Amino acid sequence: MNALVKRNGRFTEADLDDEIVVMRLDNGEFFSLSGTSAAIWRLIDGSRDRRALVAALTADYGAEESEIAADVDALLVQLRDTGLLADD
Amino acid sequence: MSSVALQQGSHSPAPTVAQTLMQRETRVTYGEVPKALSGEPIGETSWQLQGDRFLLRGEGHHYFHYRKGHGITVERGPDADLSEESLWLNGSVYSAIASLNGLVPIHASAVAHGGRVFAFSAPAAGGKSTLAAALAGYGLPLFCDDTLVLDLSDPDQVLCLPGHKRLKLRPDAIELTGATPEEPVSKAVDKYYASPAAGDVGVALPIAELIFLEEGPNLEIEPINGAQRMVRLRGDHPAADLFAAAQHFDRAAHFAHLHRLASQIKMARLERPRDRSRFTESVALAAQYVVNGGQR
Repeated sequence: MNALVKRNGRFTEADLDDEIVVMRLDNGEFFSLSGTSAAIWRLIDGSRDRRALVAALTADYGAEESEIAADVDALLVQLRDTGLLADD
Repeated sequence: MSSVALQQGSHSPAPTVAQTLMQRETRVTYGEVPKALSGEPIGETSWQLQGDRFLLRGEGHHYFHYRKGHGITVERGPDADLSEESLWLNGSVYSAIASLNGLVPIHASAVAHGGRVFAFSAPAAGGKSTLAAALAGYGLPLFCDDTLVLDLSDPDQVLCLPGHKRLKLRPDAIELTGATPEEPVSKAVDKYYASPAAGDVGVALPIAELIFLEEGPNLEIEPINGAQRMVRLRGDHPAADLFAAAQHFDRAAHFAHLHRLASQIKMARLERPRDRSRFTESVALAAQYVVNGGQR
């Protein structure tokens, strides 16, 4: 699978408390990522595909791989829908 | 209005650079002003901002022009409502001058406690002046009414400039708060200038907290965390639009600005019923929160 890549020119982001706040530059829409979602976002660095992302999170959280995979898939769909993540 | 000295000693602290700047830049002279800054002649009760200049037109032919470094020029046409002049000068004109000089106006009334500022933000007629005035009953002096100007020149803290506006209250709010009524604000506004019972503060102080007033069935104060703090700031007030326009913000720069404010300003929401019979209770809750230094 291809590595997951953020569309870096399309957003700006900042940490605030325990959240990552992301804003789309084209329309000013805000997104807030916390907990697992924030961890997934941080791990999308252009070097990992979905499988590597799930493996890294499973190791970090000590949770069932299936649970982590479900969280990852749900967020990846949202990120693609909002244009923050490049299509495969 | 009387001033309450917050520090011991016979000398008041010297004004900050920002206070001196605002005193200098808000000097008023009278004369002719341009009627447009950006092509189209300006319409009534609207403003234009271009480069380092700001133009506002009140009702009729009543114009206010500011240019950075040159102060304010007011042109009074024959139909100008002079009773409104100080409202324009202390309202949009003051906010624009602050904005053009890098100071951030926000829509809030505030009190001081422990050398810090507790500010209350709400939409127009949302009760922020009334609450700030009522907190005088707990010995909390007024810091500002309606507009709080923030100085961000120190990267480590957000400093607040003491209020430039006199307290304005509706007749029912005067009765509720125990403030002393003075003259009417203008012909068109059913408010009176008033002296806050615990005096006011004339020195710049760091902000402690920004508390958003909300109407609801409960009486409670809850913290606002994370992205919600940026969202709250973004929805502030026309003053926020003035600052963004004056700073020529693109979206990324505006985001960075909101992030800095949200990172350095603790925020909470105060929910309260807009029920006169529970007003005293809601003031007591706010006072307890302030006196406890922002702890519930």
